[in-house]
Order: sequence, then C-alpha cells, then structure tokens
Amino acid sequence: MKTLLVAEFREGKLRAEYSQLVAFAQQQRTEAAMFLVGSAGELPKFNGTLYLADAAKHGEYNPTVHKQLLLEVIEKEQPTQIVFLHSSYGWDLAPRVAVALQAAQVSEIIAVENGLPVVPVCNAKLRRSIKSTTGRTVLTIQAGAFSLEGEPEGTPTVVAIDTAATGKVQCTGYEAAKIEGVDLTKADIIVSAGRGVGKPENVAMVQALAKALGGEYGASRPVVDAGWVEHNRQVGTTGSTVTPKLYVACGISGAIQHLAGMKKSDFIVAINTDKDAPIGEVASVLVVADLKQFLPVLTEKLNAR
Amino acid sequence: MNILICIKQVPDMESKFKINGEGTWYDRADLAWRMNEYDEYAVEQAVRLKEQVKDADLTVLCIGPDQVTESIKKALAMGCDRGVHITDPDSSQREPITIATMIAGFAKDKNFDIIFTGMQSQDRGSAQVGVMVAELLGIPAVTTIVDFAYDNGSIQVKRELEGGSKALVTATAPVVLTCQLGLNTPRYPTLPNIMKAKKKELLALSPDTGGIDARQETTACYFPEKKGGGLVLEGEIPELADKLIQLLKEKTSVLA
Amino acid sequence: MEFTREIYWNVGHGFATLAPMYGLLLLAVAIFVLGLVKRLKVYRLGQPLDRTDQRRERIKHMLETVLLQTKVFRVPGAGTAHAFFFWSFFVLFIGTTLIVLQADFSDLLFGIKFLKGTFYKLFSLTLDLAGLTAILMLAGLLVRRYLVRPQGLVTKGDDALMHGLLLAILITGFLIEGARMAVTELYVPQLAAWSPVGWGVATLLAGVGEPGLRTLHIGLWWFHLLLALAFIAVLPYSKFRHILTTSANAFFADRGPIGKLGTVNLEDENTEKFGANELADLRWKDIFDADACTLCKRCQDRCPAYATGKPLSPMQVVNQIGEIAFTKPDANLIETIGREAIWACTTCRACQDICPASIEHVGKIVEMRRNLVLMEGEFPGEEVMAAMEQTEVNGNPLGMGYASRGDWAEPLGVKPLSEDPEVDVLYFVGCYASFDKRNIAVATSFIKLCQAAGIKVGILGKEEKCCGEPMRKMGNEYLYQTLAMETVEIIKGYGVKKIVTTCPHCFNTLTKDYRDFDFDIEVVPHALFLEELVAGGKLPVKAEDFACTYHDSCYLGRHNGLYDAPRKLIRSMGGRIAEMAKNRDQAFCCSAGGGRILAEEKLGERINVKRVQMAVETGAGQLLANCPFCLTMFEDGVKGANVEEQLRPRDIAEVLAERITSENA
Repeated sequence: MKTLLVAEFREGKLRAEYSQLVAFAQQQRTEAAMFLVGSAGELPKFNGTLYLADAAKHGEYNPTVHKQLLLEVIEKEQPTQIVFLHSSYGWDLAPRVAVALQAAQVSEIIAVENGLPVVPVCNAKLRRSIKSTTGRTVLTIQAGAFSLEGEPEGTPTVVAIDTAATGKVQCTGYEAAKIEGVDLTKADIIVSAGRGVGKPENVAMVQALAKALGGEYGASRPVVDAGWVEHNRQVGTTGSTVTPKLYVACGISGAIQHLAGMKKSDFIVAINTDKDAPIGEVASVLVVADLKQFLPVLTEKLNAR
Repeated sequence: MNILICIKQVPDMESKFKINGEGTWYDRADLAWRMNEYDEYAVEQAVRLKEQVKDADLTVLCIGPDQVTESIKKALAMGCDRGVHITDPDSSQREPITIATMIAGFAKDKNFDIIFTGMQSQDRGSAQVGVMVAELLGIPAVTTIVDFAYDNGSIQVKRELEGGSKALVTATAPVVLTCQLGLNTPRYPTLPNIMKAKKKELLALSPDTGGIDARQETTACYFPEKKGGGLVLEGEIPELADKLIQLLKEKTSVLA
Repeated sequence: MEFTREIYWNVGHGFATLAPMYGLLLLAVAIFVLGLVKRLKVYRLGQPLDRTDQRRERIKHMLETVLLQTKVFRVPGAGTAHAFFFWSFFVLFIGTTLIVLQADFSDLLFGIKFLKGTFYKLFSLTLDLAGLTAILMLAGLLVRRYLVRPQGLVTKGDDALMHGLLLAILITGFLIEGARMAVTELYVPQLAAWSPVGWGVATLLAGVGEPGLRTLHIGLWWFHLLLALAFIAVLPYSKFRHILTTSANAFFADRGPIGKLGTVNLEDENTEKFGANELADLRWKDIFDADACTLCKRCQDRCPAYATGKPLSPMQVVNQIGEIAFTKPDANLIETIGREAIWACTTCRACQDICPASIEHVGKIVEMRRNLVLMEGEFPGEEVMAAMEQTEVNGNPLGMGYASRGDWAEPLGVKPLSEDPEVDVLYFVGCYASFDKRNIAVATSFIKLCQAAGIKVGILGKEEKCCGEPMRKMGNEYLYQTLAMETVEIIKGYGVKKIVTTCPHCFNTLTKDYRDFDFDIEVVPHALFLEELVAGGKLPVKAEDFACTYHDSCYLGRHNGLYDAPRKLIRSMGGRIAEMAKNRDQAFCCSAGGGRILAEEKLGERINVKRVQMAVETGAGQLLANCPFCLTMFEDGVKGANVEEQLRPRDIAEVLAERITSENA
C-alpha cells in the first residue's frame, strides 16, 4: 500500500497540520510520499519523497492547477490512497481528484477500525464505516483526529514538479481574522460561567481556565444580565448557539435556554455542586465540586503540563 | 442570468435517531425533516442575487422521495422561480458521485451561470457533491464561501479558512459555489410568497445515475460510544482535576 | 310663601332674549355637528367591524360604565374625583334642562310650573351642592395636573381649555345665582337656605347695591350662556369629545371572549396584505379608540414594558394611531410607532383591563406584528426566527426532537392516546412541561395528583405540538393556524371529552382561539381542576402551614378572571398568602407573554427580576405560580435578582403533590 499525503501552504507558510497526515500514514504503516504546492524555504519534516510545486507560480489556492499537478504525481507514484486534511484546502481539492481518478472518496475520517475508515455523520451523532470498492481511494482526515506522539522529524527528498495548466479562479489575497468582538460560535473550546460563580470577581477563575485551555470564555444569561460578563459572550438560545469541541460549564445548573445553546458541543464538562442539576443530562462528565476550589487547581495543573 | 440551486432535505439534528434494519444508515421513522442548513444559505444568496440583477431565473433542484417537495416549496417561498424534483426514494443510499452525476445530467444542457449549493449536508457531511458537479460539468468551483458579491459579470467571494481568516477569490460564470454557514441570513418566507410558491412550476424527473458503478459502500452505521458516558466524578479536588485532564486527553483532541 | 324663583329674572323672557339665545345655540350645535361629521369621516378610513350586535348587553354595559363610572372608579384619587365631577356635572345638566323645560316650554306654552314648593327646595339644594362638588373635584384635578404633575401625565392645551372652561362655567353660575339672590332672596333666609352656596356668594356681593348687581347679573348671565354654548361648539374639537366617544366606546367595546384575537382568513387567495402597516389596514374601532382615549395613562402606569424602560407606552401607541388618522393618514404605522415598541408588548392585558375607555391596545400591536412577520419576515431577533423554524420542524420552539415529547411521562405510566384512548381527561402538556426539566417536575406532580384522585390521564405524546400561542402573539398567524388545525384534528379524532392544561397559554388558546376552528371541547386549567378535586373531597389533602405569595399569571388572571380558585386551593393546603403589591387584576407580568418567551429582552431592566423583587418584598419564601412561562422566568429572575436563597418559585401543583395523604399517594 502506498499513500500520497497532500500538505498545505498558506500565506507564505507551510501549515503545520501536515504532521497529522504523517501521523495517519504512520498509524496505517504505509509507505508515504508527500505533495505540496509551497516553497523550498518551508519544507516539512518528513522522511520520504516530497513532490514540490512552486506556490509563487501556481498560487496557494488554484484548484484546477493543483489538481493537474497532483494527477501527474499520482500517475508517477501510483498510490492506493491519496490523503488530504479535511480542511478548506482539502475538501476543496479532494473531490476534484476523486472525480478525475474515478475513485471513491471518504471524507472526514476520524479513525480507521478493522481496516475501514470511520466517519462521523449527523452532527457526530452517528458513525459510519466505509469500504471503498475502487482500487484507489481519496481520503480526508478530520483535523486533530490523528496526531504524532512527538514533533515531526526527517528531511524530505524534494522532487520539483511543474505544469503549464492554468486556472479560472484567482485568489487575490487574504483577509485577517477579526480580532475585535469575540464570536463564540467559532470557538473550539469554551469555558462558561454560570450563577454558581457567586460573585463577579470569580469570573476571573473561569477566564483563567479558558486561557489555560486555549479557548474562549462565555457565560449563561443570569451572569450576563448581572453585567459580570459582556453580552456577546452569552451562550444560549438568546445568545450564541455554540458547538465547540469542548464546553466546560462552570456553576451552570442548565436552564433549558442554556442547554439548547450548547448541548451540541462535542464534549461537555460540567462543574457543579449539585449532582442532579439539569446540566448533568447533557454533560459528558459531571465534576461534583465547588468551582471556586476546583477551577484554580485544574488551571494550575493544565498550565503545568 | 440562469441560476441553479441544489438543495437536500435532511433530518433535524435534534431528532431521535435510530439505525435502520440493514445497519447502514438511520431509520426514517420519528425524524423531523428540514432543508439542509447550508443549502438555505445557498437559496438565500441566489434570491439576493436575483433581487440585485433583477433579470434572473432561479431553479431549485432536490433529489429524494416525495416528501422532499416540502423543502423545494420552502425554497420557492424564499424566492426561487421553479422547482425540479428528481424523484428518488433511494437517494439516501447514493454516494456523492452518483448524486453529482444526477445533478450534472440535469444541468449539462441548461447553461446555468451560477450553481449554488451548501458546502456539505448536515447528515452525510461529505462536502463532495458541489465540487463533483463542477468537475463533471467542466466548470470551476469555489467552496466554503462566506461572502459573495456580483458586479457586472465579475464574481467576488470570500472563502472561510481555518482560524477565521478568509481568502479573497474572483471568478466568472459559469461557476459552482458551495456555501458555508454565515454567508448571509436566510430569510423567513413571507405569507404572500408562501401562497405564490404553491402555484410555481414543480417538475418531477426520474433519476438518471448515468450508469455509474458504486465506488464505496457503508459497512456499518452505529452510535458512537458516549464520550464520558455521563460520567460523574466525585472526590478530592486535586484527584478530580487529574482525572478530568486524563479524560480530556483520552476523549477529546483539545489537549493535543 | 311660594318656594320658587323667577326664571329669566332680570334677563327678560321676550324675543330680545330668546332670539339671540336660541340663535347662538343653533350656531353652537351647527359647529358641533360639523366637527362630529369630520371625525366620523376619519373613523370610516378604517376597515369594517361589526360592533353593534348584542345591543341589549352593549347598552347595559354602556349605561353602567358611563352613569355608574364603574371603570373610572377603579383607580382611587383621580378616578374618584372624575366620577364625582361627572355625577355633579350630570346633575347640573339635568337641572339646567329642567329649567329650560319649564321656562321655554311647559310654562310658556301651557302655563305649567313644576319648579316650586318642596321640589324646588330640593332642586335648588341639589344643584347648589352639585355645583360646589364639581368645583371642588375640578380644583383637585387641577392641582393634580398642574401642581402635583404625576409622572407620565401628558398635559396639553386641551387640558387648560377643559379645566378653564368648566371652572368658568361653574363659577359664573354661582356668581349669577349670588347676584340674583343678593337682590331677591338675601332677606328671605327660609328660601335662601336652600341655596347655601348662592346665599354665601350673595352675602359677599350684598354691598354692591341693586343697580350694580343687576348689571353684573345680566352681564354674567350672557357670559355664562356663551361659555355653555362654547362648550357645546368645541366639544368635537377638543378632549371634551371623550364625553361622547368614551361613552360610545363602552357600547362598541369588545365583548370577548377576553383576549381572543381575530382570526385572519388565510384561505382567501385575493388577500395580498396581512396585518397593519397603514391606517387603512386597521379597523374603524382602532381609530375610534384614539378618540376615546383621555390620556389618563392608567395603561401606561401598568405596562410592564413601560415600567422597565422599554420604548412602549400603550397610551402612546393608541394616540400615535390617532395622530396619523387625523393629520397624516398616509404615514407608515410601524415606522411611526417603532418596531421596538411593537415587539416589547407581552400581551399581559394590564392596559386593556384597566382602560376606562374600552380601548383595545393588544389587538393593534398584534396587527402590526402580523404585518412585520407575514409581509416582511421580520422578528424581534434571530432567536425568535429560529424558534419559529424550530416549531415548523419539530412542533416546539425549543428545538427538541418531536419524537421525545412524551418521554417524560413513560416512567409515570401515562400513555399517549394513540396507545390507549380510553381516558378520563386528556392532559395537553405544552412544550415547556414536555421538554424543560424544571417544568417536567410540574407535569409529574400533576400526574401524581390525578393518579391519587383516581383520574385516568392520557397525553398526545409525540402527536402533540405547540398550541401556537407564542407564535400567534408574535404575529405569525400562518404558523399558528397550521398548528391549531393539526391539533384540533388530532384531539377531535380521539373523541376527547375533557382537556386539562398546566399552561394558561395553552388553556386560553384551546378554549378561546380554537373556537374559530370549530373546537368546543371543555378545557380546564390545572389550578381550577385541582381546586375542584380538593373541594369535592376527591383529593385528600393534609394541610400544612406555610407562607407564600401568589402570582396571578396574565392568562389565568386578567384573561380568564381566575383569581379566587387558585387562592382557595393554596389556602386549602395550608398556605398563608402574603399578597404582592400588584396582584389579581393589577398583577405585574412575568415578561414571557406575547411570545416574548422566545425573545431576548434587550432593552431596559428585566421584567422578571422586577416581579421577583416584588415577591421578595412580601417576605414569604415561596412564590407560587400556575404557568410554565412564569415559572421559567422566575427561576431566571431569582438568579438575576440574586435572591435564590430568599425565594423559591414553585408551581401550585408541586406544593399540592407534597400534601397528599399517603393512603392515596
């Protein structure tokens, strides 16, 4: 089995997520080559052949051209799997390749079980395992689903590639992420304060935990109403409806409006003194503790990692 | 301007899902159905474009059993001009390339200037169909758009990238655009438009899969193990913190 | 001696007096009629509406409201003063009419005089006292309006005219009497005593001397006449018109059922416009209401939105409609009144309930909401639009999967009618009690009570959908009718005889609004149902003393007049009710009515927090409610007000369920 990994390059930089592709190949114990439209100054740490096209010439987002480059490499390498990240670059390019190769495409793989890729469906409520019936398969892997134990290492053998193909769409530039005003709907990690924080000063504990986890902090309606946290951080049907990877509810009993706004989160941790609080119904883990004691300890341990 | 909008009807994600008898997909019983959320943005963008250029004809296409006409009617009430229903009770068994072939088969001789669709469906979530339609038609596609502007033949879109930044992309018709959430605010259909929608053309076509062979099969569909499983942690504070960190490492990717 | 007086004394009763007098009267009446016709034309700009049915009841209601001042009297102070002023002015009006009748008709034509003897004595005394009362009341109102200046009272030129003219008429009346008496009666105390105020004035004027008094008398007489005629002439052009319009509005008043909205015909394919954004979309009564309004501000004083700093005053809405009608009929209603005001209404009906002028505030606001929702697809916020879409998909605004609607009842052994239709009552659960953990506790208590009373209860389970009340009040008539028709069909299909609700919004909608869909099955709210069970001895309660306060939900209280039954029930289980300052028909809304349960409260203070604070002030530790919306708002409110330790919101059924004697429980 031979695998071709498709790395990504954006705004003049190699995207570090290529290591997840490497992790996937390692986990599959397959021989792997890598494809990148990037720059010789930004090489991935990877032991194997790297087919490198020049992004300065072919563009960072120019799918028709990238597809052409990739098809030529596939022709040469004859991989059985072509693996992309399930990202704005990967899900854009993968189907083009799949159509050209008349190959099956399996999107957003989170695991490989019994030799078959597993993907989440219906908002991750269900899982589906899929068997490809074509000789070659195009895969995209979910961000964060596969990771290396340590830092990636190695030096690739660079094979320069080029094409005369041109595309019909032009990427003319980038717009930086807006910093002003938080948008909780985009956050991967949210730590929210509820009435259980007791007093406005304790909101700082919640903020500290959010920082330690690398996420945003939010709040339930009563906390926002009390003016302890600004309005655009309210989670719930009358605030933001959020679906982060991790939601930590601190001292939130779980009024229905709040639950409706966060229960679709992938993993929910509730910290509450009341074991029977409604939040327990949606929580993946309910930590029965006084958040005023628990949060500082947890934050300290996370920071110490 | 000739515009096609491809929509899908999906179960409401709050529904009580059950696995079907074959163990390959969800059972249709007890599900509430609605238009795929991503496609609502596609419909809205097409209607806005028509309001801007005035001279445009919006065809909305949906594949599925008879009940999907409800979603087509909603798109018509939002402002699409005509509906196309590819009547296919087996659509949920079809893989993306088959669906794309059916759409491309319909669209190939219609000279659509722009084809809008959602970037993915809420149920399958493969994010393949839109791009595949473009490839089959031999026209460009831009995915995951969160901003759209049309001016005198030139199309300017913004693609949403990871981390909140956006790529600015220009294109010209014909093009397929797949829409990300937040592209606009889909409208609530007004009552006069709901009434009018009932009288709009709704063409029923039989499915034509173009003789494509299956490329993949679902071997199993199942519920994931509940993360944490409603675990209740009690005990001393420091141990609780350790246990929680361990759980986050095992069950989530956030501490990676 | 003969107890009487000479009418037209000093003025003369010849052609020289009568001709100009009646000439001027004709002129005044002509101006009056002209003004009235002009206004009638404006009322006609509105859509037709039949408010002349049930004439007997309408006339009775009007006479009660006007002559007994029943509605005016509900607010002490200004209301009392107005009522006494009205009664005394009404007596003076009758007195003047009697004088005219005798002098210009019975005596002139037939020589019959009836203002003599004992009748005259009483007549004179009554009129004197009425005049005095009128002056005192008017003075009181004048002090209130111009010196005390209550917050929110709008004072215009019209008010100066009214106070000035009325006071001038009354004072000149006494001066005329005094001048006459100073010449004719001052030395006949046994007669003068029957006109005590006139006598007093006469004594003051006595020094002037007869020629001076006669000159003064005739001058004032004509002046008084001109003032009275001016009163007639300006009536349609000034706030005086309320004498006619407010009275007439009592006749035209909505005769119920209370709080039932008009059902829009959605079947008519020719209708291209729904709701109101222009004057012509409203009904004539909506325009007439503006003319009936006296700006008494009682509605505004009781409006929960106004009280918490939101840009809604029901009084202002009514008057903005009037202003548009009479000055710029093409103006856009919604732009003039403002969306925020339109969306702020909780349809609590406090305004309409207290209004002494039979004005219908809520219907107007809902008409404008209908226009925003049905014609523009506009809502007060995205969260409301999302709730509407959720309801379309899952039949509840909470976004919960419809198939799990009946899950809460499974452990209680309660089955859906689809499995077992042989039941005593159908419990129409409602969305909150079906899905919200806090309110599921209420539903569970209710079921346990029914089981203790040996009543077999069924539910609709996943066949139940939202009754459509919040959607309807938010203006989404289309979604409401869709839900209503489905619900009616399902319930009728099971041949249900009796329905019980734990949600007053469901109750009011099923029992009133659904009538338009030929739905006439008996519906009983749980507070009443349980009270009857306890009173009938079917539910053995072990009374246990406890302190509480009780919140009258708007939809059991003002909409259905159920104030006593819930209180009786609470007392029967040992509750001592410490009433809040605003209770019964004056109860302050919890903020969730009018579909506001679906919306974020972005402006002003929180209504629920304010209500919770009122409950805390009673010192009772429990706040008993009868409505899932109220309960949800209070659970939120105790947190917002930071009084979780002091106040525990509960439903009546929860408390009762704890007090059922064990043999049955």
